[in-house]
Amino acid sequence: MKPGGLLKKYSIKPRDFVKAGEGSIRIQKFLKFIGFDAGLIRRISICAYEAEMNVVMHGGDGEMSMLVDPKEIVLEVADDGPGIPDIGLALQEGYSTASPEHREMGFGAGMGLPNIKKNADSLDIHSGNGQGVHLTMCFEVKTR
Amino acid sequence: MMAGAAQHREPVRYVQIDESLCNGCVLCIKACPTKAIRIREGKARIEGVCIDCCECVRVCPRRAIQAITSESLDLAEKDHIIVSPSTVLYSQFGEDVLPNDVLLGLKRMGFGYIHDQSYTSEIFNLAVELYIKENREKPDAPLPFISPVCPVVVSLIAYRFQSLLKHIPPLITPREIVAREGKTRLAARHGLDAETFKVLHITPCPSKMICMKESILQEHSYLDAAIGINTIYGELKRNIHDVEDDIVLHHSGGIGLSWGMSGGEISGVELNCLAVSGLEETIRYLEKIEIGLLGDIDYVEFRACTEGCLGGPFTVMDKYQGKRNLQKLVRMFGVEKQVKYGYVKKLYDKGWFFTDKKESHEEAITQISAVDIARGIERLKRIEETLKLLPRKECGACGSPDCTTFAEDVTDGKASLESCVFWKDQKRKLNIRP
Repeated sequence: MKPGGLLKKYSIKPRDFVKAGEGSIRIQKFLKFIGFDAGLIRRISICAYEAEMNVVMHGGDGEMSMLVDPKEIVLEVADDGPGIPDIGLALQEGYSTASPEHREMGFGAGMGLPNIKKNADSLDIHSGNGQGVHLTMCFEVKTR
Repeated sequence: MMAGAAQHREPVRYVQIDESLCNGCVLCIKACPTKAIRIREGKARIEGVCIDCCECVRVCPRRAIQAITSESLDLAEKDHIIVSPSTVLYSQFGEDVLPNDVLLGLKRMGFGYIHDQSYTSEIFNLAVELYIKENREKPDAPLPFISPVCPVVVSLIAYRFQSLLKHIPPLITPREIVAREGKTRLAARHGLDAETFKVLHITPCPSKMICMKESILQEHSYLDAAIGINTIYGELKRNIHDVEDDIVLHHSGGIGLSWGMSGGEISGVELNCLAVSGLEETIRYLEKIEIGLLGDIDYVEFRACTEGCLGGPFTVMDKYQGKRNLQKLVRMFGVEKQVKYGYVKKLYDKGWFFTDKKESHEEAITQISAVDIARGIERLKRIEETLKLLPRKECGACGSPDCTTFAEDVTDGKASLESCVFWKDQKRKLNIRP
């Protein structure tokens, strides 16, 4: 851990729709507590939620971790699920693998990864067939 | 709770604690959504940001906490007073009393002018529709838009959910429109200054006081005073009788009347809307909106009180009975809109509905210094260290609402670990030597 940084971890359970989103809300509260700018918190929370929901819908056992530093916030979401066979396709706007059941619950508009890409300052995806997914999202903290 | 949240106003309080009645129990500190109350020296004290939700007023078994309304309005000068009651007032006298009867009762009490709000509420509904249709397709439109009507919700957003301020349309509320129009029209008619006339709002909650004195959404409020429904109730009831009277003061249909209950406001908005009531649920939904959810909804009506304004702390009739009365009125008056779209559109285009505050809705771009952030992180680390020492019984006996808040208070030097009633046990358990 970097000096001055603070690490937070939350576990994500696949198919647990009742608790889905709790980790993201905790991350959001936590960042507010420290006193980050509301716009930055919003971007991070949106990414956290999208990533968390991807694990809940498609992934295996997962973990979300956040390293908070005065200059940068790094959010990592990893799971041991089936992984993404074609990352390029998953990053396309409108592409979705959500099942009809998920769609009925209001998920799966194909916003996940493109929405993360839009809101994070950088996004790194490691995945492959059967290899789980490991997302690393970075957010720059702009201060005066 | 929120270290970085700026205090948005000086603590002028409309919720007051009578220390002679307070026995220092923990009910109010636990009920407070902003964790603003502490027990100090055996008495409850408001130390943090109060959003006037009155949750503490409701839970206090000794009635030691009271909400107050207006101080200074010379009720002797009744002929220059415009009375504008919340539509909740119509639900308070039983199912056979019609809105016009209530308004005539106010007239008999000697007030110069009586202005109904329900008709203006229907006009406001159309203004909201116009605003949303005009703005929802814009790139990065802050969806869902959030109703500006409940002052507690607006304070809550300003204090805990600042990023959502831009979701509130810059429209002035029906109660303000009634006050503004009442004053300007009377002034023009009598050739007097608008400030000759004073507007008295009859309210189900004290949060209207905040709107008057230090509104977040407006530079200037047109309301001059507010009085609780319960304060005026007895005298008004005596003045409501069956005498035939052909003065018509009430003009709205059922939609305008339904505003007092949860879902009433959105019943007049023909868009994709949602109504949420109760503080706990409101917070839960604001959290969802803040992480980007509910973007498929156009407009959310939030009311801090359960069941809407009918559940306000100054109401006399129980909220469910009041709701039944309002539902009956809605059926009686029907849900046809009484206002004409073209008329509202003209007013809208003239800027009639917009607040006078220029930049209030723009997200304040607060550039925080790196030092502040580093300090925030250090503080949080110390709070977490302190929390590890605590038993997590969440009893509140220390005077803080829960262990987490107590750990904050200890970290900030506002409380000592010695005030934890389990501290001796904890020291033994954790092998801490003095």
